[in-house]
Amino acid sequence: MRDLGKTKGLLTATALGVSAAAMAATGADAQQTTLNIGMASADAGKLDPHIATTTPDKGLLHWMFNGLVRIKPGEASPAFIEPDIAISWTTSDDGLTWVFTLRDDVECHGDYGNLDAEDVVFSLNRSADPDASSFSGDYAAFESIEATGPYEVTITLSNSIPSLLGTLVPYHGGNIVCRDAVEALGMDYERTPIGTGPFMFDEYQPQQYVKLVANPEYFRGEPAIKEIYYRYIPSDASRDLAFQTGEIDMIYGRQDQTWVERIRELPGTTVAIMSPGEMSMISLNKTIPPLDDLRVRQAVAHAIDRETMVAFKGADVTLPAISVVPEGYLGYTDDVPTYEFSIEKAKALLAEAGYPDGVTLNAIHTSLPGMLSTMEAVQSLLRDADINLEIQVVEHATFHEQIRQDLSQVTHYSAARFPVADTYLTQFFHSDSIPLKPNAVTNFSHCDVADEEISAARTEPDPAKQLELWATAQQKIGEEVCAVPIYQNLQLWAWKDTLDLGFEVNGSLNLSPAITETSKFTE
Amino acid sequence: MSGFVLKRMGFAVFTLIAVLTIVFFIVRILPGDPAMVILGDQASQQSIDLLRARLGLDRPMIVQYYDFMAGVFVGDWGVSMVSGRPVISEILKVLPATLELTIAALILGAALGIPLGVWAAISRNTVPDYIVRLASLLGLSFPAFVSAVLLLFAFAIYLPWFPVMSSGRGTTFGARMNDLALPAINLGLIMAAYITRVSRSAMLEVLGQDYVRTAKAKGISFSAIIWRHCLRNTMIPVVTVVGLYLGILIGNSVLTEIVFNRPGLGRLIVGALNQRDYTMLQGMMVIYTLLVVVVNLLTDLTYGLIDPRIKYS
Repeated sequence: MRDLGKTKGLLTATALGVSAAAMAATGADAQQTTLNIGMASADAGKLDPHIATTTPDKGLLHWMFNGLVRIKPGEASPAFIEPDIAISWTTSDDGLTWVFTLRDDVECHGDYGNLDAEDVVFSLNRSADPDASSFSGDYAAFESIEATGPYEVTITLSNSIPSLLGTLVPYHGGNIVCRDAVEALGMDYERTPIGTGPFMFDEYQPQQYVKLVANPEYFRGEPAIKEIYYRYIPSDASRDLAFQTGEIDMIYGRQDQTWVERIRELPGTTVAIMSPGEMSMISLNKTIPPLDDLRVRQAVAHAIDRETMVAFKGADVTLPAISVVPEGYLGYTDDVPTYEFSIEKAKALLAEAGYPDGVTLNAIHTSLPGMLSTMEAVQSLLRDADINLEIQVVEHATFHEQIRQDLSQVTHYSAARFPVADTYLTQFFHSDSIPLKPNAVTNFSHCDVADEEISAARTEPDPAKQLELWATAQQKIGEEVCAVPIYQNLQLWAWKDTLDLGFEVNGSLNLSPAITETSKFTE
Repeated sequence: MSGFVLKRMGFAVFTLIAVLTIVFFIVRILPGDPAMVILGDQASQQSIDLLRARLGLDRPMIVQYYDFMAGVFVGDWGVSMVSGRPVISEILKVLPATLELTIAALILGAALGIPLGVWAAISRNTVPDYIVRLASLLGLSFPAFVSAVLLLFAFAIYLPWFPVMSSGRGTTFGARMNDLALPAINLGLIMAAYITRVSRSAMLEVLGQDYVRTAKAKGISFSAIIWRHCLRNTMIPVVTVVGLYLGILIGNSVLTEIVFNRPGLGRLIVGALNQRDYTMLQGMMVIYTLLVVVVNLLTDLTYGLIDPRIKYS
């Protein structure tokens, strides 16, 4: 008790100090217009929106670019798609020809002039070019992209795709770049991104920050926030302390229950728990014994207690995963085979499969602490069912290379994708995506039971039938136990109450909260 | 003397070539593909292959090695595979911050370590000696990142005297010093621990020399014996340790840089390693090797200043 009293006293004193510092800061710059953000990263990567894939880089580019359409700020689901650079669009009956009418008042940052149909055509062609873009695969069905008027773009598809509008939101390749800027800057473009969004690139200081300034020409109006300092602070402890002292106004959180609880305690703090979550999934390579036996895979599924896993990672920051497609994705269904937690069933299945003394499985795993703790918890759950999981821990880049060489029997992967069932199903469960194949992505389980449904759904014009195909695919994959979904880890951010973003924040596709022309400090 | 320096510089070139060769091949033996790291986990194999070709990684290793070596000696260190920015400018942007921190830590370490070491030696096997030895042992064994967080908690949160983020704000000299204070103290205390121990043992050895006994017999005051007769003679081992440790300090500053959010070589090299940024890693090794060579040379030259009996040939 005495120790607790001391700790409390220290915390109170700290809180008083923090409040005093915060008050001093507020007094010093009334009506704050500079936003300081702390990001968990050592430095900026490539700042080209058609190449950048990391959370820190995507989060920053989010505030600098527009798409033909966008997801309403504060949301992450494609159900909230609304006009952005395009005012309106029409589509042919077969869904293969799309005509977009553009706004005529969109200006590129700097002196790169008005954005017209030619820029949009250039930008989308660039996204489809494997030599210039990480996301060219998303545009494989784009037969032609043409400027059919100064402010009109016509896209023709070779076959219908699950979400054409989804490929046009400013997320991956849908970020619209200005042609003149890309051509004039050449290789420098990836260091000085030029877009049309509310904030413009201004300065980069290695390992310190990227500074953005308000775009006075922004077509929705000049932002109230005039400067954003996006600071790279890799140490979790230092980032939190800098937020406490008021040196930064908004921070990227740790995906951890204790972080949420601690930061919520700070006076004047808003904590946002945002979708889309990153889904943790354990893929079981069904070509390598003993996992080639369905009963062994079922035993693994029965031995993993999702409730324990959610409790372990924290109820506020995780959602249990039911299907192999994350909840909230278009096409998700919870009508899939589930394997209730039962050690007895797991052991019985193993015995039936001819392994009464249990089995040993191997996994190559990343040393990233957040993912490793999950795998270690799974390892201890499996041990109770006599499944010995041997984890070989390697550094993160090595992990990515080795699992793509098909070297891991059990693969734990954590990912978020564009929230349409097709992305997950294709990348993780279509046989074309099996490692070492020419179009390999991340099908570590060698799953091939739902190829037909996944392929058919991709080009199915009738939305109801498409949903049905996706549901069947999820059921088949569930029956085959290609993978065991564990949980979804939600995105965490915190900011000061004095920062009003201008909308309710439920999610963000780009993994950072939207900061728009309406965002402002209230004091 | 100039002949000595020239000869040492000649050796330095060989050292550099050897280090660069080893580094060039080691980074390529590491599993992990820079193209895959850059393009992310959704990139197609076609994109990865195209990027590998653009980065020149598809060429035979010996051709890459030749190009790299030829580039290094004409000052072209290439561009970072990840950021696309020139390696040399990336390094030069953060080098001053690392040098600033290292030199501050060195000054602090010497200012604390030498007097404490001397004090412990002359108070041998008494309470002050025990306290100094215990403190220096703590300094050596305490992890730098723990002491860094404790310093932040004490002097940035509990007593808000210094900023948590000690970079990117200071434009005036005072502000820079304010930024530098906590990281320099953190590293300086570790440095002080080393110097204290070396100064103590060197001083103990000197105190037992004949000339000290002679000085005592001549009736010279104790402080004059210590400061005038003994101290200079204890400096050779101290300078050796400082010289050796300075190289290590530049490398060890990484944890301090991360916790105090300072830019620097340590953070740059860790980032480059994680992302398999071969060109950046190679560039960093050139700089590290040069720094170590220069520090060693300076250490050797300092011997001559301290002890006029030393001649360079």
